[in-house]
Parts: sequence; structure tokens; C-alpha cells
Amino acid sequence: MTVTDPTPSGHVIGDRVVLEAEHVTMRFGGLTAVGDVSMKVHDGEIVGLIGPNGAGKTTFFNCLTGMYVPTEGRVTLGGEQLPPKPLKVVRAGMARTFQNIRLFGNMTALENVMVGRYCRTSSMALTSILRGPKFRREEEATRLRAQELLDYVGLGKSTEILARNLPYGDQRRLEIARALATDPQILLLDEPTAGMNPKETEETMHLIFKIRDSGLAVVVIEHDMRFIFNLCDRVLCLVRGEVLVEGSPGEVQSDPRVIEAYIGGDDTDEDEEESA
Amino acid sequence: MSTVTHSPDTTDTELSRLDRLREQHGDRAAILAVAGGALLLVSGLLSWSYDNRILDDVSVRFYPLGIQLYAMLLGIVALALGVLLFRRPQWLNPGRGLRAVGWGSVVFALAGIIAVAYQAGGLINVNEGGWVGLAGAVLVLAGGLLSPHVDLDVRTWPRLPSWAEILVIVVMLGLLLFATAYTLNVDDPATFGCLLITLLAVAIGLVGSGFGEYLGFIGQNNRRPLLLAAFLVAFLFPFTQDGSDANMSIATQILIFAATALGLNIVVGLAGLLDLGYIAFLGTGAYVGAMLSKSAFATIGWNPPFLVVMLLGMLVASIFGLIIGSPTLRVSGDYLAIVTLGFGEIFRLAMFNLDGNNGPDLTNGPNGIPGIPDLNFFGFDFGQTHTVAGIPLGRFSNYYFLLLLLIAFVILVFTRLNDSRIGRGWVAIREDERAAEAMGVNVFGLKLLAFAVGASLAGLAGTIKAHQDTSVTPDQYIFLESAFLLAAVVLGGMGTVAGVLVGATVLKLLPEKARIVNDYRLLIFGLLLVVMMRFRPEGLVASKRRQLEFHEDDEELAEIVQSEHLEEAK
Amino acid sequence: MELAQQLVNGLTLGSLYALIAVGYTVVYGIIQLINFAHGEIFMVGAFGALSTALLFFRSYVDGGEMLPFWALPVLIVGAVAASVAIAVLMERIAYRPLRNAPRLAPLITAIGISVFLQEAVRLLYGKIPSFPDAKQKVPFPQIEVVSGPAFNLGGVTLQRSTIFTVGALVICAAGLFYFVSRTKTGRAMQAVSQDPDTARLMGINVDRIIVVAFVIGATLAAVAGIAQGLQVTNINFKMGFLAGLKAFTAAVLGGIGNVWGAVIGGLTLGLVEALAVQFIPGTFGGSPWKDVWAFALLILVLVFRPQGLLGAKVVDRA
Repeated sequence: MTVTDPTPSGHVIGDRVVLEAEHVTMRFGGLTAVGDVSMKVHDGEIVGLIGPNGAGKTTFFNCLTGMYVPTEGRVTLGGEQLPPKPLKVVRAGMARTFQNIRLFGNMTALENVMVGRYCRTSSMALTSILRGPKFRREEEATRLRAQELLDYVGLGKSTEILARNLPYGDQRRLEIARALATDPQILLLDEPTAGMNPKETEETMHLIFKIRDSGLAVVVIEHDMRFIFNLCDRVLCLVRGEVLVEGSPGEVQSDPRVIEAYIGGDDTDEDEEESA
Repeated sequence: MSTVTHSPDTTDTELSRLDRLREQHGDRAAILAVAGGALLLVSGLLSWSYDNRILDDVSVRFYPLGIQLYAMLLGIVALALGVLLFRRPQWLNPGRGLRAVGWGSVVFALAGIIAVAYQAGGLINVNEGGWVGLAGAVLVLAGGLLSPHVDLDVRTWPRLPSWAEILVIVVMLGLLLFATAYTLNVDDPATFGCLLITLLAVAIGLVGSGFGEYLGFIGQNNRRPLLLAAFLVAFLFPFTQDGSDANMSIATQILIFAATALGLNIVVGLAGLLDLGYIAFLGTGAYVGAMLSKSAFATIGWNPPFLVVMLLGMLVASIFGLIIGSPTLRVSGDYLAIVTLGFGEIFRLAMFNLDGNNGPDLTNGPNGIPGIPDLNFFGFDFGQTHTVAGIPLGRFSNYYFLLLLLIAFVILVFTRLNDSRIGRGWVAIREDERAAEAMGVNVFGLKLLAFAVGASLAGLAGTIKAHQDTSVTPDQYIFLESAFLLAAVVLGGMGTVAGVLVGATVLKLLPEKARIVNDYRLLIFGLLLVVMMRFRPEGLVASKRRQLEFHEDDEELAEIVQSEHLEEAK
Repeated sequence: MELAQQLVNGLTLGSLYALIAVGYTVVYGIIQLINFAHGEIFMVGAFGALSTALLFFRSYVDGGEMLPFWALPVLIVGAVAASVAIAVLMERIAYRPLRNAPRLAPLITAIGISVFLQEAVRLLYGKIPSFPDAKQKVPFPQIEVVSGPAFNLGGVTLQRSTIFTVGALVICAAGLFYFVSRTKTGRAMQAVSQDPDTARLMGINVDRIIVVAFVIGATLAAVAGIAQGLQVTNINFKMGFLAGLKAFTAAVLGGIGNVWGAVIGGLTLGLVEALAVQFIPGTFGGSPWKDVWAFALLILVLVFRPQGLLGAKVVDRA
């Protein structure tokens, strides 16, 4: 594993803590999937989460986004504690993508992104039926914003294709566009390059930099070490639900414990699938 | 889910052989089809039977009636398709259409011959017309089977000026009105059967040849004129009935059924929540209407104006909708279906029991509330016959017009909600509930809203139904009726308006007109559900979304849809 | 005394529900399908028994006499044959092609089958030569020993059909226990219900196991059909709907997918119904409302304890 340039030059990590997880613990019965994990993410920072299969990375994401109610610990976003309700988490400004792509398969790419705008728009049933000027304006704005985001992630030409008919790499990018549509302060990406070829991976990396440069913080789970060490400002290595090492990409990749965890790390076979 | 391909139902090796045959015989197929069509046309001018008392008299030559006319119609369609086959257009597949028309014609001719032979006592009584017709039908079928395979290129659809497209729509709808009015007035069962075969053959022929898709495309381009024309046609329908209430009664039932099914379509088709107790909402509205009416058996001595009754019916039904929808917070999928079924049964049992002996007297128990008077809007008595432009319009026609307004309202609500933030939220929930929630969609609220809106529409329909039926009884609201509503939605095509209208019409009309079938209608209904789920789960009229779903490889279609949207945006 | 009588009534009713509920639960346990048409299998079983009686014991039926006791096994065989045949056909023709379809599809199919079977019996049963018309209630033949005068135990009436029903449940449950835990097929069934894919890799013929599940359910439903016929002394084409729904309630109550849950759920539901008739005071008590209470129980269980009395936490399968 050789890394050419740990942090790309020319951007500044802010002082403001966007996301803070404190002592998050998640137990399923007797099994501790996430144990006492703490993490801080600053403005304009890209944080990587690595670890062998079953290390609890996705479970940790689920705890952050309110899909699971953590057994212990708390999550704050911009200084405010987040209630463990996905809806409120999104409204507060945290958006995510899924490891096993979960697009709305029978909706078009544009509609998928428009669904992401749901929590930032307000037309209710009666206004939708009456179609006043306010409704039209909002609908038009939603459509424009969605198209803009599709262009942004490079799917501007696939607007009317059903999500399920998009190529795999495009589906991953569509998920990112859908997440961005919720106007987040922080974006959580769960294996954004899984199944991609090197060229697509490269493109995704540039996309993530672009997102970071627009002022968002990003947390990435990934197995592709080259990708993670090229991309991230800071990396956390999770093993068996606990933080093993935290530091700059350079520190983490040279830490013998990390290598140990990966090479000897086949003793954990807990299923990390999000059980829906 | 299967993808639609253009290959006929043959195996690979057979296919290539047939294909080669077809290529060689392209023009011969067209000649066969034209000849067959001509024969069918001629057969309509010939006599089909010696006996002039059967099948509405088909014994006279050069004066076509009944099935003679239908043979001529089939002949004309076959001729047209045959001529088209010579020209080999890119956007039509006349061969497939000919196959359908050919099969239909053969079945039609055989049915006609059998009907004559059966009713007149022997094949000897079948005149030359029947045999000529059969020969023509066989030729058309042969032409269809031999015609070459065409890969449709939908991009070559002819673009007409918009007035011409609107004209096409108006003509098609006019034909539809004429066909409906004509069909409803055919009383002879055998003739009716032959007519159905004819219409089915023509319809499948048109769709099979790609013309149906083209019409759909024109319709998409001219939504507003299409809608207006459709309502105009529906509005004109009572004027074709010459004061007779028989068909109007069926028509009103269809409208109520369709309005309720559209409400259910919001819940099932858009939000993806299976409701097996939906008929309870129609019942709620009907009971509200009945209890607040001037019926001598009404249990509440309050008679507000009907407008208030309608609003109350909607309100009460939507409250029930919220109650029934509230478990969706905790249960989903099959379990939700069972919960709604349980609520539906509780509703029926409660209406049955609340007669004063068991609980308070609200519903008059199993006898229900009879003697509900007709509506009266500002002196306009719905029970009276009114004459407009010399045409008498009876009691059911009055209700028909009111129900037409109702269904227009329901369609408006459905389409506008579908194409809005709310509708997108519903579809997202249907697709992936957890992902929708993670994207900030208020899942629980939207589910409740779906139940409430759907229920209130059914409740509204119920208040009118109470007055139109003049009585309300618990046994009108059994589980089977909910199943029927669901079937209308599924049969027609989930999530579409047109599909549900078609589904509701088919399910209500067939048992009324085909009396022979009447006793077996439930048997056929059950079978139909099973067969539909097996072979065409997306319904008769697939929504654009579902159409895309079933044409995964069809990138052209996607492009067309895309260009349409761009035009809309301009 | 009243209480004891209601307990006996509840036990009878509950045993009937339990016999039918097993059918829902074994099928659900393996393919997560609510076989909504299972109530109709129960109805077909009853008609199968009736047909057997008409074919082999015609003289008794026409003479209005009770059938000899040895006719009972013959009737059971007839009922089971009819139920199993219909259930297997149903699985093969209607359900199997839909195994990977969206979840709405099999449910609608089930409704279709349910309506179809009811109507087929209503319209076609009487068309079979020398069979009675089934558009209304049809009298069910009574059998020596299991029908006849009731016993009186200190004021509590104990119908002979009650003893038959409860006895049938005990025997069927014991047989089922032996089958599931001691036979190869039974163990394969458990394997499939836990992980069909792995079971397939281990060489288990999953299709066959699914058929076996349908057969087990149909067998018990057929026995329940006879029990119902003996209790009520007549049968009709509609009897499957309500009984099926109640039995489904019982299966959910016990924890769907769990065979013992079905038995316990059935008995519980029967007792609740019987006691509700007796002990809910005022005008909302009594038998007109007992079905309402049963459905209310169904809803409450589905909402607040969808895993049932015995079930483990149910994964949301939306």
C-alpha cells in the first residue's frame, strides 16, 4: 500500500465541529456491534472509516443517522443533540448513502433526487390539489434544483431513466445526488466506490473533493485503501466495534495494528448487512 | 417480471424457420390478408341463416344487421391492415395486428355458425354468408401468420399537426361512445357474444399492430384536449339512451364503483399499502348519508343540506381512515392487509349489530335504512324525468351527471396529488420505506394521509350512493366487495386512472350484460385474479412508470419520454 | 358451572381453530406466504368427507341413519385426499410461479383462489350426479360413537363432537411433533424455514419441502372440516372464510411460523371468544359481538405484539 499524496493541497479544515459522536455503543442482545466509539468531524473535513468486515462501520452509520437507537452515547450535529429519528436527523442536516444501493428503482433519476428535496419543501395535500402560484413556484424550484444536482454529479443526461436501469456506477452517483438534495451539512457515504472500476473510482474521488470544497463535511466508509488514504484528512480504523487507531492517513497506514487487524482479521464473521 | 419482446410464442429453431418463411412470403401474406378481408366484407352482405327469427335476423342479403355488420367491421380492419402490410411502415406491425384479427375472426365466424346451427337446429341452416365469412377469417389468419416480423421503430411515428392529433382523439372517443351505446343496446345474447369477440379482436389487433401505443403517444401530447373530449363523450352518453334507465342504472353503478376504486388506488397504487377493508369507507359514507336523510328509518333526526352531508361523509370516513391507518406505524405488508381486513369486518358486523338490541340503535341492524328519498338540489328533483333538447333524461341520468362531477373531482385529486411532492413521497415509500425515511420523507404522516384521502373520496361517493340506491344495508359491504375493488385496481393497472376506469367498467358491466355469465361471474372473477397475477401483473393499462419497467431494454422509449418532458418544461 | 361450560365451549372452538391455524403457520414458516385460501382447504375437506359418505355409505345417508363407527377413518381419508389434492394443485399452479414476485401478487392470487374455490363448490357440487345442491347449507352425515346424545358431567354438557375435536387435535399435534423432530423430512423442513438458500445448497429439495408444508396444513384442515361437520351437523361453501380468518388470528396470536404457537393461539382465541360471550356485560356482550372481539384481538396482537405469544421478534418484511 503506497500512497502518493495524503492530503491534497489547497484546502483548509475549519475549526467548527460539525458532527460529534460521543461514546456511541450499540448492543444487539449480548453482541456489542459498536462499542464506545467517539468521533469528531470538522467543517470541510473528509473522515474515513475503515476496518475489516463486521467491524461495525455500517452499524455505526445507522446509529448516527437515527436508523438504530444507540444503546449508549449521544450524537450532536452543529452543537445540537440529534434525536434518534431518521426524519429529524435529515432535517437537521445529515444525509447518507447506502452500502447496498437503495434507490427508488421504479422512479426516474430526476424523481429520486426530487424525493430528496421532500424535507426542504412544504406543499401539502390541499395546496397540491389547488395548485396555487406558491405550489407551482416550489415545484419548479424543486425540479430545477434536482436537475442541477444531477448535472453536478454528472448524470445530467440520464434525467428520465429509471433508477433501476442505470449502470451500477451511475446508481452510486445518483444516491449521492439524492443525499445532497436534502441540503446537508455533512454527508455520510457507505462504500461509495464498491463495484466500480478504477476510472469510476477516480471520478468519485473528484466528486467527493468537489462536495467537500462546496463546504460540506464528509464521512466515508470504504475498503479500497488507496482510495481512502488518497481522499481522507483523517482515518479511523474500527475493529470489532471499537476504534483501534485514529490519525492521519499516513499514521494509520503505517500502524502495525491496522495491518495486523486486516491480515489476522478473519476471526470476525458477524454479518454487517444492515438488517432492514 | 418479464420483459416484453417482439418474438412470437415459438421456440428458437422454429422461429428462424418461420422467419425465413415470412420473409419469402411478405407480399403473399398481404395478398392473403386483403383477400380474406374482402371475403369477410362480402360475407356481411350475404345471408347467414335461413331462419329470420334468430340473432336479430341475419337472413337478408345486402342488408347487413347484427353479426353481418360485425363481419364487415372485421373485414374492413383486416383490409386496412393488409394494405398497410404492402407498404411496410416502420412504426406499425400490421402482421401482429392481422394475427390477432385473424384469430378473432375465426373465433367469431365459428361462434356465429355455431349459434345459427344451435338455434335453428343443425348446420344445414347456416347460409353461405357464414361459410364465406369463415373462409375469409382463415385467410386473414394465414396472412397474419405469414407476415414478416417488424422491429418497431417508435421514432418514426408520424407527427401530425396538433389540430389533427386532437381530431384523431375526438374521432376515437366518438367511436368509443358509439360502440358503447351500441353494445349496451344489443339484447340477443349470442349477438352480444359475437359483438364482444369482434370488439376484442379489433382492439387487440390495433394494440398488437402498435397503433394503440401510437394513440397513447398522441394522448400524452394532448392531455387536456383528451380529458375534455373524454368528459364530453361521457356527458353525451345519457343522450344516446333515449330516456331508458336500464343502461343508465348500470352506468351509475360503474361510476360509483370507479370513484371508490380510484380512492383505493391512492392507497394501494401510489402508497403501496394493501387495504382489504376498503369497502367500509364507502359504507361509512353511505350510512352517514342514510342516517342524515329524510328516510322514515333514519336514526338521527337531523337533515342538513346535502352539501353538508357530503362533507360530513368525507370527514367521518377520513377519521375512520386515520384510525385504520394508524397501525401502519407498527405493521406493514401482509400484516397491514390483515389488519385492514379485520377493520372491514368489524365495520360490517357493527352495522349489522347496532339495532338497539345490541348496542345503541344507529343502523337499524340487518334491515338497514330503506326509503331514502331522492336528492333535491335547489328544486331540481333527482327522482323526476327531465327533458333536455327533446331527449328525456330519467332518474338515473340525473344521478349520472352528479356522479360524473364526482369522478371528475376524484380524478383531479388523484392526478394532482400523484404529480406533486406528496405523490413522490408515496411512491418512494412504496419503493423502499426505510430509504424514504432516511431521505427525510415523513413516512408515517404520508401513509396516514393516503388512508385519509382515499377514505374521504370513498365516503363522498357513499353519500351519493345512499340516495341513488334508496337504501343502505350491511350486506352491501362484505369482504368480497373490497376484493372486487382491489381487483378493479389490479386488473386495470395500479397507479393509473385510465386503468382503474377500464377495470371498474369491465368488472361491473360484464355480469350485468352477459346474463348467462351472471351465475358464474364470481367463479370467473376468482380465476381472472389468479391468471392476471401470473401473466400480466401490471394490469391492462400499465402506467408510464410501469411501462418503462416492463420495457427495460427499450431505450428509445426512454428517450421519447425524456423529450416529452423537455417539451413540457418549455 | 357457567364458567366450566364456557371453558368447554372455548376448548372445542379453540381446538378447531388450532387445527386450521397449523396450516397457516407451517406454510408461512417456510415461504413467508400468508396462504389466504387455507380456509377454503378446510371447507373442501368437509365437502370431501361428505362426498365420501355419499359415495360409500349412501344407504345410511338416504335412510337418515348414523354411519357406523368404522366409516370415520374412511371419511377422514376422503376428506384428507380432497384437501391435499386441492392444496397441492394450488401450490403448483398458482403460488409456485409467483415465488419471486412482489408480495402483493401472491396475496391477490390467494384472494382469487379463495373466491374461485367457494364458487366452484357452490355452483358445481350439485352438478355431480346424485350429489346435493350446495348453494345452501348441506346436512353433514353423523357417525356412531362420535355423534349422538351428549354427556352430562355435573351440569356441564359435553358433546361427543367436542371429544372428537379435542382428541383430533391431540393426536395431530403428537403426530406433527414426531414428524418435525424425528423424521428426515421434518428436520429438512426446519432447515428450510431457517435458511432456504443454505438448505438448498445442502441438497435439500426446497420445492418438495414446500409441498410437504402444504400437505401437512391440508391434512389437519381436512380433519377440522370433519370436526366442524360433526359439531354443527351441516356444512356450506362459505364456512371457510370466517373459520380461516379466525384461524389466521390464532396463528398470529401464537406467533406465526411457530407450530406450537398455532396450537396455543387457537386454544386461547377459542377461550377468549367463549368467555367474551359470557362475561362482557351490557349490550356489547353476547354472541352477536363475539366476532368483533375476535377481530379486535387480531388487530391488537398485530399492532402490539406481532411476534405473537411464542414467536421471536419478527423482522419487518414490508
